[in-house]
Amino acid sequence: MSTPMLSVRAVDARYGNIVALRDLSMHVATNEIVSIIGPNGAGKTTLLSAIAGLVRPTHGAITFDGQGLIGASLEDTVRRGIALVPEGRHVFAGLSVIENLRLGATIRKDTRAAEADIQRYLDQFPILRERRDGPAGLLSGGEQQMLVIVRALLSRPRLLMLDEPSLGLAPKITAQVYDIIREIRDDGVTVLLVEQNAGRALSVADRTYVLSGGEVRMTGPSAELGKDPGFEAAYFGLGRGVAD
Amino acid sequence: MGNLLQILVDALSLGGLYALTALGIGLIFSVMRLANFAHAEFITCAAYALFALSGSPLVMSLSAAVVVAVTLAILTERVAFRPLRDADQATMLISSFAVSVFLQKVLIFAVGSRAKPVDPIPALAQTFMIGGVQIGVLKIVTILTCAVLLLALLFILKRTRYGLQMRAAAEDFTMSRLVGVRADAVIALAFLLSGILAAVVAVLYTAQTGFVQPRLGVQIVIMAFVATVIGGLGNLWGVVAGGLLVGMGSSLLQAFLPPDLRPFREAILFLGVILILLFRPNGLFPSRGLKERI
Repeated sequence: MSTPMLSVRAVDARYGNIVALRDLSMHVATNEIVSIIGPNGAGKTTLLSAIAGLVRPTHGAITFDGQGLIGASLEDTVRRGIALVPEGRHVFAGLSVIENLRLGATIRKDTRAAEADIQRYLDQFPILRERRDGPAGLLSGGEQQMLVIVRALLSRPRLLMLDEPSLGLAPKITAQVYDIIREIRDDGVTVLLVEQNAGRALSVADRTYVLSGGEVRMTGPSAELGKDPGFEAAYFGLGRGVAD
Repeated sequence: MGNLLQILVDALSLGGLYALTALGIGLIFSVMRLANFAHAEFITCAAYALFALSGSPLVMSLSAAVVVAVTLAILTERVAFRPLRDADQATMLISSFAVSVFLQKVLIFAVGSRAKPVDPIPALAQTFMIGGVQIGVLKIVTILTCAVLLLALLFILKRTRYGLQMRAAAEDFTMSRLVGVRADAVIALAFLLSGILAAVVAVLYTAQTGFVQPRLGVQIVIMAFVATVIGGLGNLWGVVAGGLLVGMGSSLLQAFLPPDLRPFREAILFLGVILILLFRPNGLFPSRGLKERI
């Protein structure tokens, strides 16, 4: 494998005195689906935040396509080709569905093509077309999740980062969301996924990192990780399992 | 009946002025969660620009007022608010207070604290008759200008891409940056629009009162703040409605109170404000998304 698309090397991050990430290294290669799993407070969201520029690491390096990301402004993250769908979805609740989608294409200069993309997604998700002019805040949780994923895709990212996309969704809806994630990868977008639901994550991801206490406890191909006897212990931060 | 028309015109023109001022404050609040006290001095300085250029062609004095208010607004944002954007909201509030007092003192130092006569648009001083009632042209122009500006702003916010970005930033500032909306640009645009509104208010207000003094803006802005609070901070339509309500209320009280009670007009108005807030603490039209920025 050549140099990875995204590379995080020896990153420390903290909120005040609380250490959120400790000497954390990981990478994502082009067209992979990589998942980050771990319990609450493991540092999963902080890791995505550090990559997106929401949190500034105190130490270490993050590169995307070989270019350093640390210190770049938030609005440049998406311009470099990284889209973040944060935890809790964050639709613009008072704006209409179509306005939310147009905002997804904020960085694009090819307005016509962007509008055509929007139409294509509206065809693909008829419920969004139905609610096109209604406030996005009135969509159900699952519909909002579709909306924010589509909104993120409209920036034509090369790396899509999803933070707990199944949070608060019914199992059937979660399954749909995961089908969409697979399709996204098939369309050539690399995916970095944060999940608390380990089973879901392992089923979709090529590789998985287990985080606990701000450190990588275990990593490897998802298929092998699930079978590893040390997996549960690593997930709950009990031992320091090594799988690769 | 005829008298009623006159009263209504008065009420609407004062309400319109408060609505424009409240809107200038509300725009900044919606994207930055900042109650900008310095808005008063945007108005005052524009009024002094009119004073300084009285006698020169209308185009010049009016554009000077706009240029002064807009420049001041943009500069204030750069110098006093941008460095504090990540700071506590209270810190920014204090900063806006400091800018306001500073500009007031500079004006007193430079031009003195006494009121000076100014008549920005002399042509508007005429009156005309409708059904036997005398109506001031200025009042009608004020009402029309307020209506046109409200519609223009509505168009910008609803129909342009920058308006959309502003509304997104007002809803969820961090998320708007994550989709690529440039925070600096959106905030600068809010200050630009706010400065234009301040300049228009300066022109119409001085045309009505006929003088300018260093605390001119403060008087209007205090009423506008009351308007934003009863209308519901963070909701631009609520803010406009609040401005109309306060202005019209004040004007109607003036017209209908018995003469002995007129000196207490403002006391009665504020009593009404207190009552509204007792029953609707978030204002008459609270904004749905008035949550903290992450």
